[in-house]
This record gives sequence, C-alpha cells and structure tokens, in this order.
Amino acid sequence: MSNSTKKDGDTDLRSLLKTQHKKVYAICRLFANNYREHQHLFTNIIAAASQNIRTRKDNSDDKQTMLYRACINMAALHSIALAMEPAQDRGIQFKSPDFQRSMTNFRDTMGLISDAEKFRLFLELENISQEEMVHLTGIQFNNRNVASRKETEPVKKNFIPYLKEKLIWN
Amino acid sequence: MELKKLLQQWNSFPEVSMEERPVLSSDLEKIVVKNPLSDAFYLRKKLTLRIAILSVLWLYNIWQFRHQWLTQGNELYPQGALFVALAAALYFHVRLLLFADYPTLLALPLVNFLNKLETIVDKYIVAYKFVSALAGFYLLFGIEALLSRVSAGAYETLSNNNWYKWLILIFLSVSFDILLLHTIIPRQRKLLETVKRYRDGIHARAQNK
Repeated sequence: MSNSTKKDGDTDLRSLLKTQHKKVYAICRLFANNYREHQHLFTNIIAAASQNIRTRKDNSDDKQTMLYRACINMAALHSIALAMEPAQDRGIQFKSPDFQRSMTNFRDTMGLISDAEKFRLFLELENISQEEMVHLTGIQFNNRNVASRKETEPVKKNFIPYLKEKLIWN
Repeated sequence: MELKKLLQQWNSFPEVSMEERPVLSSDLEKIVVKNPLSDAFYLRKKLTLRIAILSVLWLYNIWQFRHQWLTQGNELYPQGALFVALAAALYFHVRLLLFADYPTLLALPLVNFLNKLETIVDKYIVAYKFVSALAGFYLLFGIEALLSRVSAGAYETLSNNNWYKWLILIFLSVSFDILLLHTIIPRQRKLLETVKRYRDGIHARAQNK
C-alpha cells in the first residue's frame, strides 16, 4: 500500500516537472551564459525542486511555490559558485544558432542588472503577484517593474522625493 | 516600452532548441534522485563522518577515563578534559547537522536560505576549533606513547608533570589551529565571504529601490 502511494507520488512529481520544465528554462535564460552552465543549472534546479516537493506533499499550490523557490535558490547558488571561480570570459556561448541570437538580443536589451532584479524580472515574466514575490524570496520589492525603472532612472534624480518635500514645507 | 521589447524578445526564443528541449522521462528519473547541492555547500556527509568518528572516540575515552578514575592514574585530568571536549564537539556537530536540515534547506525563501547557508558555513568554520583542540590531545597522547618506547626517563618526567603536559597540549592545539588556518579554512572563509557579499548585495538592491 505504502509502496504504491510512493510510486504514485513519484509519478505525480515527474509529470509535474515535465509540464513545468519551461519555468526552469526561463530562469536558466537569465543566469546561464553558456551551454554547459545552462544544462548544469537546469539539472540542479529539477533535482532541487523534486527534493523540495518530496518534503511537502500538501497541495498543488505548495508544489508551485517549491518549484519557484528551487529555481531562485539554485540560481543564487549558481551565481555564488561563479563568483568564487577565477575571472574568465563570461560571454554568451550556446550551441544552437537561433538560441544564441535570441539570447544575445535579450541580454542586450536587459542590460547589466543585479541578481535581485533578475529574480524580479523572472517572477514578473511568470505573472507572479507582489505578495507572492515576497513570499518566494523574502525581498520587499517596490511596485514599479524592472524595465520601467531602468527607463526612468535618470529622470528620478530631478524630482524632490515626497518625504523631503513634506519635511521642507511642513 | 522597454518591458514590451523585453517581452517580445522573451517570446521570440525558439520553441525547441538544443538548449531547451523537452525533458524525457528517462532523464527525469536520473535527475530527481541527484543531490542538487555541490560539495562546497553540502556539508552533511562531512558532518556525519565527523559525528561518527567523534562518537567512537568518545566511547573509547569514556572507557579510558573510567579506568584512570578507578586506578587514579597520571592521565586522569587530561582524560577528563578530553571527555568534556569530545562531548562539546559532538553536541556542536549534531546541533549543526540538525540545524542545517538539508532536505528542507532549498525550500526556504531566498533571504532565509542565504542567511541559513551563511550560518551553516560560519559554524562549520568554528567547528574546526574543536578539531584543533582534539588534535592537540591526541598528538600529546601520541608523543607520550612514542616517548614510552624511545626514552623511558623522558616519559616518566612528562607523565608525572602535569604542567608540562598542559603546556605541550596548548602548544600542539594552537599549532594545529594555525595549520588549519593556512590550509583548509581559507577555502571555507572565501565561501562564507562570497555568500555574505551576495546576501548583502541582494538586500542593498532591494532596499535601494
């Protein structure tokens, strides 16, 4: 009985990972710079997600959270591991020409953004709400999205912040 | 505008490529049983091994300590101190292993995950102090055993003089600690610093917005 339940659980887990694997590829696009890194990160996130889901078998919403947390935490570990390695060429190098082109264009548009912003961008692209973002990362993001903030950043310096205005005039 | 462009490019990625191919069930079967953490972050095996070794040493020490107690031998105080040191080291390692709770570590929110990772690495570095102290004891016992075979007179002098023993013990422990500080610990410190810097970077970015 318990063996069949375990087997069913494993089958559920595998089918969930199979249907949700594009989410994992999505975060790999933001953090991996070459084919080897991409495959390594993908494998590790799937392994982490399966470990997370196995520890909690409550409901499907929880499984989604576990999957997202595995994506974010493994991507963070990937960045930490890269930061510990000696400096080397971090150019974008993928095997498939179409993927290489798409990746180069995407990274050029995205520009050099921090990992916190990458996490936010990933969650925004996955249509995750602000509350859910805090629940997943523990970071309090502000309401404006990453891309629009990049656009308005030089203008921001010309405005007097609301609080400063209040303090001066009251 | 920028987000629109990003979204456009996001959607223009090829549906299937060598990099983003559908996952096969056979691949998944292998992946789901893999440990996602690399050796640098996964200290469970090392901690378990240390706990096993400490347990064996502690049991052996209990037997020796009892023997010294009953016979009022020369090694009573060093064996007593070793008993306390082994018990403390064992407690520290078991506590760290339970705190790390590796199966649920990756299920934490990012900030909590990084904080916990930092604490684990930090405490693991502290655990080397216990290793140094214990190494001091066992090196002292080793020197005594060697002297008993090489020079019986020197052995007699040493075993009857507790001050010499404690001084040699401190010297050996400190020397072993310095050796670890220059060999194994720098790698762990580098890892700790990188995790700290990364966590601070995440916090700073989040607070600057």
